[in-house]
Amino acid sequence: MIEIILLVSSVLFIFALKLFGRPSTAHRANTFAMLAMALAVFSAFNFDFSKYDSAFYITIVVSGLLGVLISKRVQMTQMPELVGLFNGFGGGASGAIAYVELSGNSLPLSDVFVAIFSMVIGVFTFSGSLVAVMKLRGKLNNFNKKLADIFSVFLPTIILIPAVLEMDDLLIEFIILVALIAGIIRVAVIGGADMPVVIAFLNSLSGIAAMSAGFIVNSIILIVAGALVGASGIILTLLMCAAMNRTLLDVLKGGFGGTAINNEYEKDPISTSPEDVAIQLSYAESVVIVPGYGMAVAQAQAAVKELTNTLKDKNIEVKFAIHPVAGRMPGHMNVLLAEVDIDYEDMFTLEDINSEFSTTDVVIVLGANDVVNPLARTDEDSPIYGMPILDVDLAKQVIVIKRSMSPGYAGIANPLFVNDNAKMLFTDAKEGIENIIKSFELV
Amino acid sequence: MEATFLLTLLITFLASFIGYELISKIPQTLHTPLMSGSNAISGITLIAAILIYPEVGESQLLKIIVLIAIAFATLNIVGGFSVTGRILEMFKKND
Repeated sequence: MIEIILLVSSVLFIFALKLFGRPSTAHRANTFAMLAMALAVFSAFNFDFSKYDSAFYITIVVSGLLGVLISKRVQMTQMPELVGLFNGFGGGASGAIAYVELSGNSLPLSDVFVAIFSMVIGVFTFSGSLVAVMKLRGKLNNFNKKLADIFSVFLPTIILIPAVLEMDDLLIEFIILVALIAGIIRVAVIGGADMPVVIAFLNSLSGIAAMSAGFIVNSIILIVAGALVGASGIILTLLMCAAMNRTLLDVLKGGFGGTAINNEYEKDPISTSPEDVAIQLSYAESVVIVPGYGMAVAQAQAAVKELTNTLKDKNIEVKFAIHPVAGRMPGHMNVLLAEVDIDYEDMFTLEDINSEFSTTDVVIVLGANDVVNPLARTDEDSPIYGMPILDVDLAKQVIVIKRSMSPGYAGIANPLFVNDNAKMLFTDAKEGIENIIKSFELV
Repeated sequence: MEATFLLTLLITFLASFIGYELISKIPQTLHTPLMSGSNAISGITLIAAILIYPEVGESQLLKIIVLIAIAFATLNIVGGFSVTGRILEMFKKND
């Protein structure tokens, strides 16, 4: 009977992933996955609920309610932090389970290795995710990379301490300590704009930790589900890396970006006003908006929606061009736009829209920088050379809404800003869009 | 014993392969809900906690650690699915 429940659960998990393939069926995917999860958890009890005391049931109910509460209250702009936090919880749970199994002293040797693996990955995911959350909240600056490198070299020696001091029974605790510190240091050296890779990578690790926990307790469903999560995380990680033309190793090494390397311009940018932008837009037939992290910081989504409506009312075509690493996690911009009811049919990927820029009348760059920097195509010495970018410089006119000429994450000047077809609207993303809308009413 | 271990490895491989194939087809628009959804699934480690809880024996410390694992995993599952539902709801009404 249990086997049949588990079989149904596995199949439901796979179907859920299949349904996830289209925005129109994706909400059903979530229901399928929830059902699969409920069956899998139910099966673990093996119809014997009396083996568990009240502490067990109280823990489940309280943490379940807490989960619902958190998820209902969180804002869409805080989604990267929330996903990071939950990643940490999943990894931490697997790590704790592996630790308990190792302390039980009854594992066969092969399982000991799997358990240590699961524990290290789980604990690393836990501490790494918590650091990622702090970085996303802006509570932690980039950790000194040199110091981190020195730390990393000496870190493994901590494991030798119990051997030297003849405290063999503390070995496991010391391994946990190393994994904890390693997680903290590894993530601490990675800059903010590399967070989409970090979050996806930690997501994958939490799946791998769960999968290896499945090997220890001999649960096939745990292995299957863990493997699915591991695979999904790896795919997203590699997609994010490809979108920056960097390897995973290079990202994890850290130390990229955050400091200005070169921010000099040969000429002054042309600055514009909301009124002029409104006039320009009213003569356009096609408009493409390129949102970046600046839109999320300024919470400008609602204003963007209003501008989109205003333009569409005038029969102007509006599209959104979304770079894969825009924002702080995969798909971040899409969620913010969906939140304000912008149709996902209007959101385009880099491959789909790049050929259209040359025939676009006006492009509005809203809080994005490196992902529209033409140096990625032309300057072989540039740190972003070879990164796929949105070719907005080919459009007839470009409006860049940005507070100053400060460089983006890569720390380099963006020649787009002084291009002949570009004008700068120096203001906050939200204020800028709102003022353009107001000017429209006057035009 | 050997045969079951190999079978388990085969299942692991097949699951990873199916996962890779299906997830590669998911559009960029859905990458955030995909992450929060798969994130919720990684809380399935709750099963391991349920399985070992009755067997931890006398040690209060180990029991507390398992309870912490249960709390983390439950938060991960319930919170993860709930927030994924919220995100997907936003995509649904656009149909």
